[in-house]
Amino acid sequence: MRKLLAVIRREFIERVRTRAFVLSTLLGPVFIALTLFLPLYLSGRQTAPKRIVILDGASGGLGARVDSLLRAAHYGTDESPRSKYEVEWLRTTRVDEVQDSLVRSIGLARSTTPHPDGVVVLTDQALDSGTLRYLGSNVGSPTDMDALQGSLQAAVLAERLSRANLDPEVVRRASSPIRLEKSKVTAGRLTGESGEASFFLAYVMTFVLYFALLIYGIQVMSSILEEKTSRVVEVLAASLTPLQLMLGKIVGVGAVGLFQLTLWAAAAFYLTTNLGPILGLMHVSPDVATSASVPSVSIDLLLVFLTFFVLGFFLYAGLYAAVGAMCSSYQDTQQANMPVTMGIVAGFMCMFPILNEPDGALARVLTMVPFVAPFATPLRYSITPLPLGELLLSMLMTALGVLGVAWLASRVYRIGILAYGKRPSLREVARWIATG
Amino acid sequence: MPVIVLEGVTKRFAGHTAVEALSLEVPPGGIYGLLGRNGAGKTTTIRMILGILPADEGTVTLLGNSTNQRSLSARVGYLPEERGLYRKMRVLDHLVFLGETKGVTRPQARRQSRAWLGRLGLGEWEKRKVEELSKGMQQKVQFIGSLLHEPELLILDEPFSGLDPISSREMRDTVVEIARQGRTVLFSTHIMEQAERMCDRIAIIADGRKVLDGSLADIKREFGTRYVALTFTRNAAAAGQILQDRSLAARVNDYGATAEVELAAGANGEALLRALVAADVGLGRFELVEPSLQSIFEAKVGRDSATPEDPAHA
Repeated sequence: MRKLLAVIRREFIERVRTRAFVLSTLLGPVFIALTLFLPLYLSGRQTAPKRIVILDGASGGLGARVDSLLRAAHYGTDESPRSKYEVEWLRTTRVDEVQDSLVRSIGLARSTTPHPDGVVVLTDQALDSGTLRYLGSNVGSPTDMDALQGSLQAAVLAERLSRANLDPEVVRRASSPIRLEKSKVTAGRLTGESGEASFFLAYVMTFVLYFALLIYGIQVMSSILEEKTSRVVEVLAASLTPLQLMLGKIVGVGAVGLFQLTLWAAAAFYLTTNLGPILGLMHVSPDVATSASVPSVSIDLLLVFLTFFVLGFFLYAGLYAAVGAMCSSYQDTQQANMPVTMGIVAGFMCMFPILNEPDGALARVLTMVPFVAPFATPLRYSITPLPLGELLLSMLMTALGVLGVAWLASRVYRIGILAYGKRPSLREVARWIATG
Repeated sequence: MPVIVLEGVTKRFAGHTAVEALSLEVPPGGIYGLLGRNGAGKTTTIRMILGILPADEGTVTLLGNSTNQRSLSARVGYLPEERGLYRKMRVLDHLVFLGETKGVTRPQARRQSRAWLGRLGLGEWEKRKVEELSKGMQQKVQFIGSLLHEPELLILDEPFSGLDPISSREMRDTVVEIARQGRTVLFSTHIMEQAERMCDRIAIIADGRKVLDGSLADIKREFGTRYVALTFTRNAAAAGQILQDRSLAARVNDYGATAEVELAAGANGEALLRALVAADVGLGRFELVEPSLQSIFEAKVGRDSATPEDPAHA
């Protein structure tokens, strides 16, 4: 036991001491802060309104309606003072000629006389056919186009209604959208989470697991490979059993991973709980700051996540360890680790069917498959109530998978660490596993 | 009680037999040499003794235990042929770690490591990273790692290969000192002179089979005085011609200025001396001697590749 601890301690301390570890640990929170603050910060910045010309060749009130709707459009909330558009309403009968001359000036960067960013063309045919034209420099931006189309849609609808002698205001009120307030109930109690919050959580957890398995799993692999190529392993093999060596490596790297993730989680927690004041320091208006809400994590979900995190790590780290022991060079591992990496990717892909139908047959089956359960089970648990029996069975299956992998990997490891040269074929590896 | 007993030990790898029906006994105390060419099966034998590799057949008994050799690692020190250390680790940390894997406590391991580093002239390097050390220094560090837990049995696989003369001497002195303390040293080598100077007992293996074992003195006595040591002062070329004569010399180690000759059956020393004098060869030395280990080895194993090297093992 003391020998095992020595291996774990060495792995942990030597890793934590490296410059790579210190750098990545520091950069993690910076990255979190950037993903958290940058969008909010940028959306809080002034964006220049788009200059739009309404080229109005239509009869009736369509031009006026478009004009007033575009002028009323604002960035962010409706109370915000920043207009989206600077509108110029141009009535003409010679639509085509004016349009041509306007188009020529779009996107010219002479700031003295402001040039339009785009032209909306309104004609009587457009009203009938429902096809409007917009010529602009920003047609590639889906957000811009969605907003513009929304405004135009409302204007056309109102114009059509009024031509049919209906009061647009009555129709608007009657068709105003409803809002569905969602609250999650688990085991007869309100959790206080909204639907979006649990989705967000599930999403983040799946990502964290995915990256952690890949990053730390590969670290286990290259660490074993390094021990093998530097031939340190032979001295160790005289004192420790292959299982002890492998376990020490996996636990050591795993502890480093958990340590790093804990630091990151603490940083993320601090940043999110102090979002308002920090944004205040960055001179972002408070209404933007309060609009960013952070979901809370329940203790039981955290426990389920951690349990499967550890199980998943042992499962995949064991496989990566076997790959590392099989290979004699870094190039070898790049090919040989593919099947393991594919397993992790498959686990990640499970997210989509499960999000679609968390209680579906496929989701239930995936919960029981050891290689994907570390992804599937916490995900299902976070979005739908999971019967305790199913949860325990999933844990049991995954744990059995871990034991199976450990047995398999230690048998490969035992022979692999002293085998140099050409990478063994699958048949040879099978023989390694089979021989006592 | 013998420290190591091998009984009919066999190890096969895919397609070839590395060690075949090998039986050995290493008594406690003294220096035991395991001799053989590269690829003869020395390293495989050592790995089986340590329990790194399981034997396919036969039994390996280490310090009286024949089931779990690895559990005895606290009493055994091991320097593998392929040296290797964690390059990024500091020297002292590395030694402490190696000590810990042998069951030594951290403070004890630190004390021992410092003492040994000082003794082998590496005291100022303890805080440096392994990769900053020269190859010879790294080898010394690993040597310290194999003995800082004061093992009763020290197993060294080709310990002197790649060492400069001074380091080689320092290591040799240490090995001799350990043996004089009553502990046992087993080392493998393919350099016969080394074994001849240091070992009390030897075993010669070739192609995984034991050719010869016993105490060096007994072995030499057995070979008798059928050997002549010669030193030439003049006309060594003519001597070379005479030594080709198989009715006089059965086997010759011609070193140019000196030679060692195994007399042919039926021939005697006088006949050889007469022939040399007749050819006007100047002789600084003409002595009937016990054979050197090199000669014994060649007589037993054959001079040239008696068997082709296994390509899989090359």
